Amino acid sequence: MDVLFLDAPFAGTVELCPETIDYLKRKQYHTVGLYASVQFCNALDRVRTQLKELEIVIVTSQPDRTHASSQLLGCDNDLNSLRLGEEERRAIDCYLYIGDGRFHPLALVYGQKDLSSEEVREVVMNDPVHHSLTILAVYDIVSLLKKYRGALLKFIAADRVGVLVTIKPGQEQFKPGLLLEQKYPLKKFYYFIDNVISFDQLENFPFVNVWVNTACPRVGFDDQEKFVKGVINLYDALNAEKVLEQKSVLNELK
Amino acid sequence: MSIYNTEVEKAIRAIQEKRAKIVCIQLPDGLKPDAGAIADVIREKTSARVLIWLGSNFGACDIPLGLQRMGVDLLISWGHNRFHKKQEGW
Repeated sequence: MDVLFLDAPFAGTVELCPETIDYLKRKQYHTVGLYASVQFCNALDRVRTQLKELEIVIVTSQPDRTHASSQLLGCDNDLNSLRLGEEERRAIDCYLYIGDGRFHPLALVYGQKDLSSEEVREVVMNDPVHHSLTILAVYDIVSLLKKYRGALLKFIAADRVGVLVTIKPGQEQFKPGLLLEQKYPLKKFYYFIDNVISFDQLENFPFVNVWVNTACPRVGFDDQEKFVKGVINLYDALNAEKVLEQKSVLNELK
Repeated sequence: MSIYNTEVEKAIRAIQEKRAKIVCIQLPDGLKPDAGAIADVIREKTSARVLIWLGSNFGACDIPLGLQRMGVDLLISWGHNRFHKKQEGW
């Protein structure tokens, strides 16, 4: 079977709204990390010109898994997936996201959970559809991160761990999930497969102490509340001790 | 009328080029209300049978399973572009 992807690009003008321009000026930002969803990322010329007029330097990249420069996916919730150099990342004063909706720009906030609070940058969302500005920052995800950290601690102590694997080809990560057995030989891992993660089935497996998600990593964040026993993403499970020890906003939560 | 360009002409061209007889159209939530209109245009311009995917369309990683069993020749997925999966994990 062949598959044809159609971007469905935004039919209107992609530009910074006056509110965004005022905000960037007021904050005196010199360098922005520019990203957009696929509907907008191929029409950023006007935005680039506007930023140039403001004498703002643009840093951008083609993140992992994407097909275009400056394109952001919801699964880019790990800063490494942006493929920016350390120096480039540190030079950024804020991330500037072009698009509508919160799903994609929230990835940029989640991605900073392992940075120290001094290194964290806010996400300026410029919505060309509604001509509006919204700011996203760590305070938008504090309660979620607290639960996530709780699930990480639970994982460290857990004897029996449920590992969720989807059979969707784009999201299936069974082999990487098997690394858990090598890394934690004293824990028992039970591998669960499903087409989509059936949250209503989780309670039917009461022997599981905590869940590890290997499917879309946004499940580990956005769907946290659907997991009574808690859930963490595979990458964090494989690095749990380090994640909990390092100086980061995740560990500085009050 | 959507604020996004659904590029139906590209879909029609692909159906004609591939001579697809059964196509499945998969739309993100924001475009699902346009599914009927898109299916109507495809039916009008081609002889293909159109199946509308009811479920999710979170990304190019979220392709429906089992369509081949239904004889689907072509899946047309809106709102995303090609996804380059990392085999070593997310």
